[in-house]
Amino acid sequence: MRSQDTPRRIARGHWTVVTAVAAGVFSGTFAIAQMVPDLSGPADAMGQVRAKPMPKWNVDDVRKMRAYPDQPPVIPHSIEGYQLSVNTNRCLSCHKREFTQGAGAPMISVTHYMTREGQMLADVSPRRYFCTACHVPQADVKPLLGNTFRDMSQMGVQPMGGN
Amino acid sequence: MVGVKEGQVVATHGDMQAEVNRGLNCIKGYFLSKIMYGEDRLQTPLLRKRNGKYAKDGEFEPVSWDEAFDIMAEQCKKVLKEKGPTAVGMFGSGQWTIFEGYAATKLMRAGFRSNNLDPNARHCMASAASAFMRTFGMDEPMGCYDDFENADAFVLWGSNMAEMHPILWTRLADRRLGHPHVKVAVLSTFTHRSMDLADVPIIFTPGTDLAILNYIANHIITTGKVNEDFVQKHTTFMKGVTNIGYGLRPEDPLELKAGNAANPGNMEPTDFDSFKKFVSDYTLEKVAALTGSDPGFLKQLAELYADPSRKVMSLWTMGFNQHVRGVWANHMLYNLHLLTGKISEPGNGPFSLTGQPSACGTAREVGTFAHRLPADMTVTNPEHRRHAEEIWKLPEGHLPDKPGYHAVQQDRMLKDGKLSFYWVQVNNNIQAAPNTKNETYQGYRNPDNFIVVSDAYPTITAMAADLILPAAMWVEKEGAYGNAERRTHVWHQLVQAPGDARSDLWQLAEFSKRFTTEEVWPPETLEKHPQYRGKTLFDVLFKNGQVDRFPLSEIDPVYANNEAKAFGFYIQKGLFEEYASFGRGHGHDLAPYDRYHQERGLRWPVVDGKETKWRYREGYDPYVKPGEGVRFYGRPDGKAVILAVPYEPPAESPDKEYDFWLVTGRVLEHWHSGSMTMRVPELYKAFPGARCFMNADDARKRGFNQGSEIRIVSRRGEIRSRVETRGRNRMPPGVIFVPWFDASQLINKVTLDATDPISKQTDYKKCAVKILPVA
Amino acid sequence: MGRITRLAGWIWKLLTTPAATLSLAFLTLGGFVGGVVFWGAFNTALEVTNTEAFCAGCHEMRTNVYEEMTRTVHFSNRSGVRASCPDCHVPHEWTDKIARKMQASKEVWGKIFGTINTREKFLDQRLRLAQHEWHRLKANDSLECRNCHSSVAMDLSKQTQRAADIHTRYLLSGKATCIDCHKGIAHDLPNMQGVKPGWQMPDELEDPPVPAASAIDDLRNAMAQAHRQHVEQER
Repeated sequence: MRSQDTPRRIARGHWTVVTAVAAGVFSGTFAIAQMVPDLSGPADAMGQVRAKPMPKWNVDDVRKMRAYPDQPPVIPHSIEGYQLSVNTNRCLSCHKREFTQGAGAPMISVTHYMTREGQMLADVSPRRYFCTACHVPQADVKPLLGNTFRDMSQMGVQPMGGN
Repeated sequence: MVGVKEGQVVATHGDMQAEVNRGLNCIKGYFLSKIMYGEDRLQTPLLRKRNGKYAKDGEFEPVSWDEAFDIMAEQCKKVLKEKGPTAVGMFGSGQWTIFEGYAATKLMRAGFRSNNLDPNARHCMASAASAFMRTFGMDEPMGCYDDFENADAFVLWGSNMAEMHPILWTRLADRRLGHPHVKVAVLSTFTHRSMDLADVPIIFTPGTDLAILNYIANHIITTGKVNEDFVQKHTTFMKGVTNIGYGLRPEDPLELKAGNAANPGNMEPTDFDSFKKFVSDYTLEKVAALTGSDPGFLKQLAELYADPSRKVMSLWTMGFNQHVRGVWANHMLYNLHLLTGKISEPGNGPFSLTGQPSACGTAREVGTFAHRLPADMTVTNPEHRRHAEEIWKLPEGHLPDKPGYHAVQQDRMLKDGKLSFYWVQVNNNIQAAPNTKNETYQGYRNPDNFIVVSDAYPTITAMAADLILPAAMWVEKEGAYGNAERRTHVWHQLVQAPGDARSDLWQLAEFSKRFTTEEVWPPETLEKHPQYRGKTLFDVLFKNGQVDRFPLSEIDPVYANNEAKAFGFYIQKGLFEEYASFGRGHGHDLAPYDRYHQERGLRWPVVDGKETKWRYREGYDPYVKPGEGVRFYGRPDGKAVILAVPYEPPAESPDKEYDFWLVTGRVLEHWHSGSMTMRVPELYKAFPGARCFMNADDARKRGFNQGSEIRIVSRRGEIRSRVETRGRNRMPPGVIFVPWFDASQLINKVTLDATDPISKQTDYKKCAVKILPVA
Repeated sequence: MGRITRLAGWIWKLLTTPAATLSLAFLTLGGFVGGVVFWGAFNTALEVTNTEAFCAGCHEMRTNVYEEMTRTVHFSNRSGVRASCPDCHVPHEWTDKIARKMQASKEVWGKIFGTINTREKFLDQRLRLAQHEWHRLKANDSLECRNCHSSVAMDLSKQTQRAADIHTRYLLSGKATCIDCHKGIAHDLPNMQGVKPGWQMPDELEDPPVPAASAIDDLRNAMAQAHRQHVEQER
């Protein structure tokens, strides 16, 4: 595997079985809970790894909850082959207000009808024209590792007025 | 805007009142809340140990900060003693806050007396910085982002703003789609998302953009569109030396053949007529043939610049800067704006974009390059050194006068054992550096060397180190960044870093306590200046009566400030004010620190409380006196340089065996090496793993299917990837694109460590590879 | 001048004089063989010009429309069944095919005079060129699509719910035809300003037919008309 001068793994016998929870319990003993080649490089740093197959897109059309109000919703369908250029915008052909009833697609947010200065427009603002800068489809894969981000609703967010 | 609850960031959203983005974020910005919460966040220092002691071949074990700094100081002192200050070095980045970059430059230059400090901004915009200095005598763009709302034409030179500068892209798209007369020209070596908005799309053979630039100059001159008044009053003509090599190791055959590899930056004065004659060679027919571009579009492009009634904003980033003739390319573009006088006014100007949050604010303005000091000063200029010594309260002649090792040179010197104590902060250079398997990685694992990496996550670079220091990030500390339009921003600390993670600022200042002047400074200096005796570097650099002059009481009590609390004074404000004294009155004026906590950033020079939007032009820039109109005051004669330089071919081009061009770069969803974004589930799922974008016909001719696993092989190394013939990047025949965010597909094992010989910036956009099936 | 007239006269005489030495059988057979050779050559030529290699052999096609098509599902897909240029752009019915080939003579003309020999010129013409194809496919109820994709053979349970719903609502009900929604399925689109999503309105209200620019267009329009009637009768 790896030559003697490049050992880099923590407590070899343990790390593969140590889960997130265990890492929390034993933190201090095992400092790095898991090693993922996509993040930390292959076990043999300069070694060759097999390229993972390209995953399929999640196409279940089920809307995903947002992590917080200002998060742009992710796209629950494939957009492969969709053209989005100065000439045409495939996304808008269903998600624009005028087309939503016929297409059965959710209407894009009203914020997208505002100018830089916050004035409302009759049509989608050109600054929002390139949808994929913020909205992305999701591949049907598991995250490389967990994320300990906590939703604010679990912390009991109180309603607040302006000040 | 950041929402915080119970000590955690729970939400981010675009600030409606921020001038740059007006409420918008890109996909990465929207998911910023999650970047700090990857499960493998580093929380304690880790040292390679065997049998309870540090060992180069040991395994990582958690240690205390004390133990970490003990061994680190011991190793540093050992190297200083055995090999001297030139064997000590540091690598930082444009993700450093201004205070951190400034503290690092003080610690390295004034503390250890080494100029071996370089930022990864060297890989990113050194060519732009070099050309700004050479043309205008001052770094950074003259215009600002307000140009987006004022231009009639946008020209993107090798920049894919739609993915790499999505917020600025919204402003550009707003202008183009909202005003039908506006035109967008996009030049690139392949078709990408920015081309989707192009009225003038131009695909050219890698490296031949230089010829296009000279053709446009020729077109402007032959069609009589030169702004003669402007040219006469505000410009001066120069001719650059040619055959300048490729910044490879000196024994490389290409360098031996290069007549001017030793003095690549030399220029001599010339005049308009010889310039005219020089570019007359670049005719439309010749250039169309060389570039493989559509002559009709080339002419349309040239007309955008030539037409006096059209305000043009040129934009560029890596395509131009990561170029073995990057400095030339920048110069040649300034030529066009200077010949037509389309510069330094709303909507008209060359605008060099940057990729890192504080490439300008920290790397360039603070002067963390191996040859620079704060406020555009250089280490080779005795007056500049003296000025720095005065501000830093150092003995005269204390600062080293030779430029240190630049980024690529640092890797070579680590490998060669000439640089032996090396500290890397906010960086993932094993993944980012060119030819990493043969150069960079070898240097890190060289038994002579002690490598320290400060990071928030176990990156491949951290894993190649001997000591890993856990870093606090983003709103876990008070910070300040400076963006490409000279805007300085400040933020408060909002949450606590997990475990024992500490900010880079704390690490730098705390580490300096472990050294006394007697240990690291020459005895002669102390003999001559006994007042420095018995002091630690911390005393000299940070407790110097300047940095420590603002008490804790000046901190807004609503916010935490770990570093100030640890050191007993408002260290960020102290560092900022000391740093600001370099530039005040010299065209780099920053506002008083506290003001930045009230504002959403200010564009320097801030004079009499007012920011400057367009430099060098009367009425906008307070440094231009009434009646002068335009003055490029960075240069003694007030005139900008128009430089005559030719097209020269890249260091490596495809041949019969290595028959593809390899271009590397980024994707929208991942930032740089992906160390943060790959840990955010939504971003990872949006682009899960690198792939090899390839022309579908090329793939089919060679028998590769869409999705086939392939080997990408160069003369230096190889990786495995998957064939992608669809999607956002549409490759012309003979060119492939591989993003570098994926540590399991280290494309930089394949790339070539050729640099621009003047700026020393790596060319990641041009090398030759072959594609083989996986047996 | 006199010599030429004499030569022409001689040839005329030779051709009009009945054969005296050749047998009737030879002549019949020869005529037949000649016919076969001609027909074979004609068909071979027809076939050759009906391949992707022939289409992409032309620089204008290769660097524009072919290049774009290679990135789409009609070039590579799960099961490897693919459509080449003529599958979509040349009618399979003989009479239609010949009409299309006659029309192609105009394209040869364009090739010779370089009407779209640069990307710039091609992009300028793209809307017009695309409209030709949309109208043709609209007129023949997306016949070339349906040569492979029969709507009745679609397994709705194998489609994403969204696609199945839309197909049921518009395609199976006959309200829309393939090209209405799938414009740009194989090539980049021209400026679509004013071209509404296909599923939205009845087809009569969509773009007016292209005015006939030549006799060939008249013929094509007439055939398209006939096709439409035929399709309606079938329904």
